[in-house]
Formats: sequence, structure tokens, C-alpha cells
Amino acid sequence: MTPIDRRLVTHFNWSLAGLAFVLFAFGVANLYSASGFRMEEGLTLTSYYRKQLYWGSIGLGGMIASLLFDYRHLRTLAWPFFVATLSALLITLFWGKTIMGAKRWMDLGLFHFQASEFAKISLLILMAKLLSMEHEKLGWKKLFSFGGIGIFPVVLIMKQPDLGSALSLLLLMGGMIIFRGVKGPVLKGLTVAVPALLPLGWFLLHDYQRQRIMGFLNPGGDPFGAGYHIIQSQIAVGSGQLWGRGFLEGTQSQLRFLPEKHTDFALAVFGEEWGFVGCVLLLFLFSAFLLSIVRTTAEAKDGFGSFLAAGIFFYFFWQIFINMGMVLGLMPVVGIPLPFISYGGTSTVVNFCLTGLALNVSMRRFFFKKS
Amino acid sequence: MFRGLESDTQQPPKGGLLLLQLLVLGLFLIFVLRLWYLQIHKGQEFADKAENNRIRLHQVHAPRGLIRDRHGVLLAVNEPAYALAIVREDSKDIPNALLHVSQWLNLDLSQLHETFDKGRARIKRFEPQILIPSLTFAQLAVIEANTLSWPELKIVTKPRRSYPQGPLLAHVIGYVAEANEDEMNNDPELSLGDSVGKKGIEYTMEKRLRGKKGLRQVDVDAAGRQLGANMLIPPQVGSDVRLSIDLELQGFIDEQMKEHVGSVIVLETDTGQVLALVSKPSFDNNLFVSGLSHSDWAIMRDDPAHPLQNRAIQSAYPPGSVFKLVVAGCALTERVATPGDRVFCPGGFQLGNRLFRCWERRGHGVVDMNRGLVESCDTFFYTMGDKLGVDRMYPCAVQSGFGRPTGIDLPHESPGLVPSREWKKQRFNDNWYRGENLNMAIGQGFMLTTPLQVARYNAALVNGGRLLKPQLLADAEPDEQARLPLSDSHRDFLVQTMVDTVEGSRGTGRRIALKGIRLGAKTGTAQVVKLMAEYDKKALKDIPYQFRDHAWMTSFGEKNGRRYSVVAMIEHGGGGGAAAGPIIKAVYEHLFAEELQ
Repeated sequence: MTPIDRRLVTHFNWSLAGLAFVLFAFGVANLYSASGFRMEEGLTLTSYYRKQLYWGSIGLGGMIASLLFDYRHLRTLAWPFFVATLSALLITLFWGKTIMGAKRWMDLGLFHFQASEFAKISLLILMAKLLSMEHEKLGWKKLFSFGGIGIFPVVLIMKQPDLGSALSLLLLMGGMIIFRGVKGPVLKGLTVAVPALLPLGWFLLHDYQRQRIMGFLNPGGDPFGAGYHIIQSQIAVGSGQLWGRGFLEGTQSQLRFLPEKHTDFALAVFGEEWGFVGCVLLLFLFSAFLLSIVRTTAEAKDGFGSFLAAGIFFYFFWQIFINMGMVLGLMPVVGIPLPFISYGGTSTVVNFCLTGLALNVSMRRFFFKKS
Repeated sequence: MFRGLESDTQQPPKGGLLLLQLLVLGLFLIFVLRLWYLQIHKGQEFADKAENNRIRLHQVHAPRGLIRDRHGVLLAVNEPAYALAIVREDSKDIPNALLHVSQWLNLDLSQLHETFDKGRARIKRFEPQILIPSLTFAQLAVIEANTLSWPELKIVTKPRRSYPQGPLLAHVIGYVAEANEDEMNNDPELSLGDSVGKKGIEYTMEKRLRGKKGLRQVDVDAAGRQLGANMLIPPQVGSDVRLSIDLELQGFIDEQMKEHVGSVIVLETDTGQVLALVSKPSFDNNLFVSGLSHSDWAIMRDDPAHPLQNRAIQSAYPPGSVFKLVVAGCALTERVATPGDRVFCPGGFQLGNRLFRCWERRGHGVVDMNRGLVESCDTFFYTMGDKLGVDRMYPCAVQSGFGRPTGIDLPHESPGLVPSREWKKQRFNDNWYRGENLNMAIGQGFMLTTPLQVARYNAALVNGGRLLKPQLLADAEPDEQARLPLSDSHRDFLVQTMVDTVEGSRGTGRRIALKGIRLGAKTGTAQVVKLMAEYDKKALKDIPYQFRDHAWMTSFGEKNGRRYSVVAMIEHGGGGGAAAGPIIKAVYEHLFAEELQ
């Protein structure tokens, strides 16, 4: 293995790691408030915050594991990883356990994991490898060849069916390609073609997904059905006003007007209890976290590192953007969690691992000279 | 050391970096603006809405389907459970209220305070906090009589599963308990606090028993006070389940078992229906419903008699001489022997320099297959085992339903074990020795079977060779899973030897003979330890309990077109016929009570 060099410690990006932990701490505190006990029906609810802490400690292990090796090894492993993920997706498709009508989970006996999460990571690594070999902006030909590679996992995940993950895979790949840059005509072509293709996507959706979109466009139309989440989460966030109702004091979320309050709608609980001030602080922390990854992208000592960091950037960016947009009523309801804030085993572990990978790129930035 | 560690010379694209920074800026600005709009600009409006947020959607639990026995007697019901709760906001003097509760119910006041202090932080305003999770009717009456002057005390009701028969059917019915996170992840219909089947029929028939939840619209103010309610979607009651079990028979057998540890199974041979499935000792499944206390759990777990174990399907024992039926059938099918072939039994079988003893030390003399089975001559079957070998006995046993689960609708069924040459190689990395054929042929050695497998095999012997799935539901159709590897005449021969075992003067099953009923049996003894010489000649009562052999008896009985297979396995019961015989005989007396009068 690479010998542990003191420069590695000197160049460790404490602010990036620190931001991740501060965000995670916010998330756990928020979960503590969102879980709580409910006795009126004689029920005792398990608290999620403790489980989240447990996942966080596994995540910490994952993070440390992801920064101990030299990230450049990933370049040689990019293709094997990708092929392995495709096989895992195929296995999931044929043998996966059906949960909530969808075959997203693979049963490993001890725990379940989502192969689609691994698909995101391996596509990220492969794209970083391929894009770092491109020395100029991409033309149509390159665009289609990269797109052709990425379409395999996307189609397999769509088959599961898990449209949310398929979409985030597309967005991740798209973000990285745009980061590399495309030639002028391609850019023009895409700006025309993508909006034109969107309506076609309507036919790929399931009924419940169409309902969510209709609920978003007209939440008042069915206040107990598809529009319920949207109305209630806005009421919760809005009623926080400037200073919020205070920790553990939220009424909307505590009284269960809010569904899914510990997972996708965790931000609504946060907004109600911490108010505008708390939300802007949270937004500030997320922005600082993202900018720290951007700096890693700029400073990385090779293209592969740059593109890895850019991929990690987009991985977090889209999740933050879509989840916040959903909770704040700017977007239809899509089941995408808010990194570090929402409850979730796999996603917490993956978030920490990818932060670790960014730290990995960051702390090896002075390690080798360019020729 | 590693290839591919050289760095490429790619510079991060300038435009791309700018794009990333702009994206972060855009994200920040868009959401700050949106938050400002929601929380500051329209904040007061939303806060008002929150105050008047009158509509809440509540899931309404559907009553779980009931479980009955084959004659309609209720085995699992839903009954209301009462809890005592306190609403802080309605109380002027909480310590005083607690003091009175402790006096009415004769409870320790400090413990009541402790419960209250522990829970209070978790309870929102106007929500009842449970002080005593389940009240007895006597306690309930006392509270009811006093709550009028104490508005802060509330009786909270919720349905709770109850099993009137308790331990008598705990192994069959199992129990429900609160769903854990894994179960909720696997099933979108479950939410926190829901009860879900964990064991037994409650587990396997979960889909049928559980209804569909309804939806109730509840009008409340933001402080949580309920103002009115309106059912939007009524809940759908779960389907009832009628078991094949005959409660009366089950209870009768349970009594007959007295203090014995073991199991008894009664099957209807032609349908596979399970009329009784008794495993002793048992446990009270009601204890699990409202959450088992730690001490209760520790007691059950550490009980050396393992009351949670369903011995009829989860315990696998060496079949002992019961297995000789399978070996005899195998020898006939494989044409290794005919019914008329004879073997001389001098009291053992010499293999190399080792003598494999027959249980009859004096020897049986000249034995044919009928006598070999009726008197359970080991030497005869050592000879069969030696001729057949494991490679022919293995498929015979597997095709007779051993070594794999019977598929009964209960979780965690043991498959038992049929050893093979490959299995031994894999398990012990050792070859199969000739002597092991002899042990296998008398049902010792590695062979393990569950009582249910034996009962099913016995049923197949008398129902025309059909291996049926043991059915626990009264409306289940017979489900033929395989056929015994036996011709009709060979099967009839085996059945006749079982009858001779009961009717013959030297038969090992003569104790169960009943006038007017056609009964057949085979006894068996499953060795617990290789009996030490010192116990060899001792009476059963002089052998320490844990060294006594397990007693098997498999049997069938028929009269007037009704046919049953009854199997008893008494742990540490000593010889097969002595311990299990009287129980089996009593079961037939009960089953054919009319015919016997």
C-alpha cells in the first residue's frame, strides 16, 4: 500500500470533513425531534435517531476506508466495478426481493442493499475515468458513446421499477458531461431536444407518479390524496416563520400532519422548528460543503481526480436540489432523501463514503507532479 | 507496485468549474428566496393555517381475522385492552392524581412517579401518556368509578390479540407482536405499532388474517385536541381461518402427555389434515402479545426443557427402529431381499473385528422379514443395511419424505437429515464406512427425522402410497407431493407387519391392541448416548433422566372408512412401546370412542 505520508495528514481537508459531520449532527437532532413517542394509541415508537447514529458510525468507517487508499487505483477498477454493478442489477431484477412492489433491494441475509446506489458510484467512477481522457469538448459522437454506456444501468434500474434512481443516474451522468463541456452545436441541440423529449417521459410513468405530478401542479385538487404531502409540508415549513417554533416544539410535524417526516420530509420538521434563520444556516452549510468539493475539483492534481470530485459534487447537488425543491413545493414529490438530514441506512453510508472519496482526492493533491 | 498510478495531464475544465460555482450560487439563492417567501412573506398565513390545521388523517386498524378449530371453536380472538393514561394539560395537581392512582390500585407510588417522569418528555401537549399499559377488569372497575372527579385520567382502549387456549395450541397458532423495522421495510402496509404474526399460523397466514386498514379524517386544532371524526374509507376485516385441528382431541392428548416431554401428531391419512399437534412443554402465547417482559423471556429462554421449541416439526431425532420400515421397503424395491428370505440372528452381526449387537442379546434365531419387523430384530436389518449400502438407502429415505421439510404451514420446520456418502465427505471430510450402513439401517448414526415426517410416511403407507402435505387448514385440499418408492404388494406387506406388531404375542406394539379396530404400529428407540455398560441391565428408573433413550411409536388405526396415523415421540421415555404405547392407545380409544362402545 501507499506508505502513510505526513503530508497526507497536513493536507487533510478538515473543513470538508467537519461540514459533513456538522450536517449529520443537525440531521440526528432533527430526527430526535421527529421520532418521539406516541402513546395515545398505546404505541411505543422506536426512535430513528439512535439507528441513524448507528448508521453514521458505519458511515464513518466507510469514510475512513475510502480515503486510505490512493484514489488512482479506482481508474483501473472502473470497468470491473461497472460490470459487477450491472450483474448485481440483473440479479436484483430476477431474484431481488419485491419490496413495495419494486425489486430494488437485494437480500444479503444480514441486511438489504440497494444495487442502484452502487450503480451511481460505479457509473461515477467510470465516467470520471472516461471523461478525464477527453482533452476537448465533446461532440455528438462522444456524447452518444458515453450515453450508450450509461444507458445500461439506467434501463435496468427503470425496469425495477425505480424511476427516481434512474433519473438521478441520468442527472449525475449529464452533470459530469456538461462539466467536461460539449461543443456549441451539441449544446444547442440538447437545449432543444431535452425539453422536447420530456412529454414522452409521461408515458413511461406509473399512475402514482403521474398523480404526484398532477398533485404538484394542482395541490388543492385532491387535498387528502396526492396533494396532501405538498400542502402539509409547506404549512409546516411556513409556520416556522423567522425564528421557528423551537427544538421539539413543532406542532405540524409532531402531530403527524406530516407524513414521511423522518425520511424524505425531514426538512419540513427542521423548517418548522428552526425557522428561516435555521434553514438559511442549513442552506449555507450545504453550500459550503458543495463549494469545498468544487475546490477539490479545481485543485486535484490530475484529471481523474477532478472528474471524480465533480461527480461527487453532482451526486450531492442533485439530491439537495431535488429534495429541497420537493419539500418547499417547487417540484413534484420524488422519493429522494436530503443528504445527512434524512433517515436512511444505505444513503447515510454512501454519503459518508463519497465524502471520504472527495477527501481522498483532496489530500493527495500535492502528491505527484504533473509531467 | 501498482500499475495505473501515473497521473494524466488533464486540467479541470475552466468552464466546468465556473458552472459548478454558479450551480451552488443558484441553489443558495433560489432556496433562500423560496424560504423567505414561505416563512417570512407568507409565514403568518401558514402559521394561522397551522393553528387551524383541522384535518388529520388517521389509519384505522382493521380487526384481524379470527382463528377457529375444525368445529368452529375460537382459538384466537381480538379483545379490547385497557390502559390508564394521564393528560398533563387537564390536571391541576399531578402528584396528587398519581397518589390516588397508587392508592386505588395498590401500586408503588415511587414507581408510578418514575414511569411518569420517564415518559413525559416524549409526550406532546394534550396527548395521553400511558401510566399502566394493561388493566385488569378489577382495576378497570376501580378506575372507572373514580375518573369522574379526575378528568386528567383517561382509559385508552385498543384491540389486543388473545388466545383463549394459551399453551394448548401455542405451537400451532403462534402469536402476534409489534412489527419491527425489518418487517415494516418489507411490507408497506405495516406502520409503527402494528401487530404482525411472528410465529405459527399467525405468521404463515398473515396475509389472510390481516385486513385492510381504513382511513379516518379527524378534525383537530393545532394543539392536538380532537374536535370530530369522519370515516373516509372503512377498514376491511381480515378473513377468518379454520384450522384442521380438533381442539377437543388436542386437549385430550395434552392431558395424556402428563409431565412427559415430547410430541404427538394425529393425521387423517387420506387428506393429510392435522387433527392434533401437541408439543410439550408449551408456553403461554398470550405473554408475547403485549410484549414479553425481560424476566419472562429469560425464564423461557433458559428453561432446559425448551418450551418454545415445537418438537413435532422443529426437533429432529434419530428414528431408531421406526426407520426399519423404510429399509425393509427399500430392500424389497431394490430386490435385495424377498419377504421370505431368512437371516440367522445369534444376537449380533459380526463385521470385521466388531460385533454389532442385536437388542436381544440371546438372539432371535432364524428371522424372516415379517418377524424382523414385528420383533424389531437388529441383526436382520444389519444384514439388509450391509447389502443395500448407503447409496441405495439414501434415495429410498429421501423419496419417503425424509431429509426435507414436509411443507406444513408453520415456520422454521426442520428438514431432518438423511446422510449420504457426499454429505459425509462434505461435513466431516471423511469416507463412508461399511459399519455406518449397519447403523443407518436401524435408524441410528446420522439419520434424523422429525415426528411429523414419520407421521406423514406412516400415513402414506396406508393411503395408497401418497406422500401428502400435512394440512393445517380445514378447507385445504389434499396435496400429493410424492409417492412412496414401493409397489402395492410390498406396501401391503409392510402394513401387515405393522398389524402383526400389534396383534402378535411377541410384537413390540402389542400394548396398544384394541378389540374391533385394525391397528398397526412400529416402535423405536432413539439412543441419546451410547448406553454405557453400567446402565445396560438397569431398570429405566435407575438411569439418569438425561441418559434415557427417546421413545418413538408410529401407528395407524382404521375402522368404518376412517383412517388415522398417530405418532408419539417421548423424549427420554426409554423403550418405545412402554412410554409411548399407553398414550397412543388412549388416542385411538378417543378417536374410535363410538365404535368401541
